[in-house]
Amino acid sequence: MAALNVFDANVRVGHSGIHGQLALEAGELLEEINHFGIEQVLVSHFTAEEYDAEEGNRALARDIEKSPDRFIPAWGALPDKAFLERLARRKPAAVRFSFGLKKHNLSYAPLYSGPLYEYLEEHSILAVIAREDIEWDGLAQLLQNFPRVSFLLLETGYRAERYLGPLLKSFPRFYFDSSTLLAHRQLESFVEQFGYERIVFGSRSPLYTPGAALAVLATARISDDAKRAIAGGTLRRLLRTASSET
Amino acid sequence: MKSPVPIADCHGHFGVLPDFPAHKGSAGEMLQVMDLLNIELLAITSTLACYNDCPRGNAEIAEVLKRHPHRFLGYITVNPNPLGEALRELERWSAFHRPPLIKFHPDLHSYPVHGPNYDPVWDYANQTGAVVLVHTWDSDPNCGPLLLAPVASRFPKARIILGHSGVSWRGYEQAFEAARLAPNLFLDISGSQSHRTILERAVEQVGADRILFGSDLPFLEAAVSLGRVLSARIRDDEKEKILRFNFLELLGTEKRVRR
Repeated sequence: MAALNVFDANVRVGHSGIHGQLALEAGELLEEINHFGIEQVLVSHFTAEEYDAEEGNRALARDIEKSPDRFIPAWGALPDKAFLERLARRKPAAVRFSFGLKKHNLSYAPLYSGPLYEYLEEHSILAVIAREDIEWDGLAQLLQNFPRVSFLLLETGYRAERYLGPLLKSFPRFYFDSSTLLAHRQLESFVEQFGYERIVFGSRSPLYTPGAALAVLATARISDDAKRAIAGGTLRRLLRTASSET
Repeated sequence: MKSPVPIADCHGHFGVLPDFPAHKGSAGEMLQVMDLLNIELLAITSTLACYNDCPRGNAEIAEVLKRHPHRFLGYITVNPNPLGEALRELERWSAFHRPPLIKFHPDLHSYPVHGPNYDPVWDYANQTGAVVLVHTWDSDPNCGPLLLAPVASRFPKARIILGHSGVSWRGYEQAFEAARLAPNLFLDISGSQSHRTILERAVEQVGADRILFGSDLPFLEAAVSLGRVLSARIRDDEKEKILRFNFLELLGTEKRVRR
């Protein structure tokens, strides 16, 4: 898959209190992506997701230090003023939200979290959200409220087509990852229906083997342009936009 | 990417699904994908039968087998309720394959796999040496993998495939434990959760001889299972057994087909 120059949008690193032996430290994760020929990963930290965003961001900064060209950070994000100031110093290209009472107790409503989304909008920072952390109706509200923010939804689930189609049609800055396009010929059917421009490759590594998601992409009967864009071209473009404006 | 050996796939379907749109699920479209990935044989069960109506669903399978006898094998899908229907279906479609291929879906049929209404079918499977594919799910009260260990011991001549091997990491652990208790249990790798290292762990725990390639095609993407096997850190001969030879051996055709 090296020819596709794969940039994996859905990777986490570090110790996990939930996923035990499946979690990988940075060195192990690097070995894993090398094994599968993955060039770069957009990576967030389990500590940010399971515990505290700032603690997780510090751990992420340490973990990506040795491989800054391979590990591109998706920082934990909170709406608090002091947190946003610290986040800005990291010059983020992407952040990953952990909504939910048991995670960061973070709202997607402008009333509570407006400054965070305005910051993302102003600096064209990619906002990454896992489907398990937001309901479809909440996601639609978020996209409606902040139409200039690019949102990347991870792990949509393969039963999501009746939601994804309308979202893609209504929100041009809405993207999703391929990690759970696991139904029969779903990736190529999506490309046929909606185009390839808003699907980015994701593997759910290290909890799941990238071998599965890579095989889905490799065997999809879509154009080479579509494969390259999904494999990494689209994500690189999204992050370049952010870097140039941060 | 395609399989280096022609695949014998133990877990396929025919039909649509209620909760998301099916794509490219006609027999012709399935055959195109099978050719793309080098799946030579696919054993199919009727999705209609799994959800709702076994007699009509099995009749659909009969039509597919009539049109494509060399690429598809047919499971007779049975529901333990109403009592008596299952044995009638087994008799009616006995020409599908010998030994019989039987499919149970205790989750969708909402009846426990170890419940008494399944006993006549288990008895039939035991007498005929049938291959029984059972949908299993992590800790499920109707189809948790551990429920199958005592059933397999009671009916030792039935060859029982744990469909999806319980799906999750914990489900696989339950499947390993069940398989250690009963030598006539086999693991099917189809499913949506391709946990890192689980296939390697399955080989270590139960041996490559008892692991079968399943895709769940055209419900799930067959490339998922293929990618899992090809990228696993196991030996090539173990991959070949999983991809092809183990299921052929269950079907009774391994010696004839293997070169």
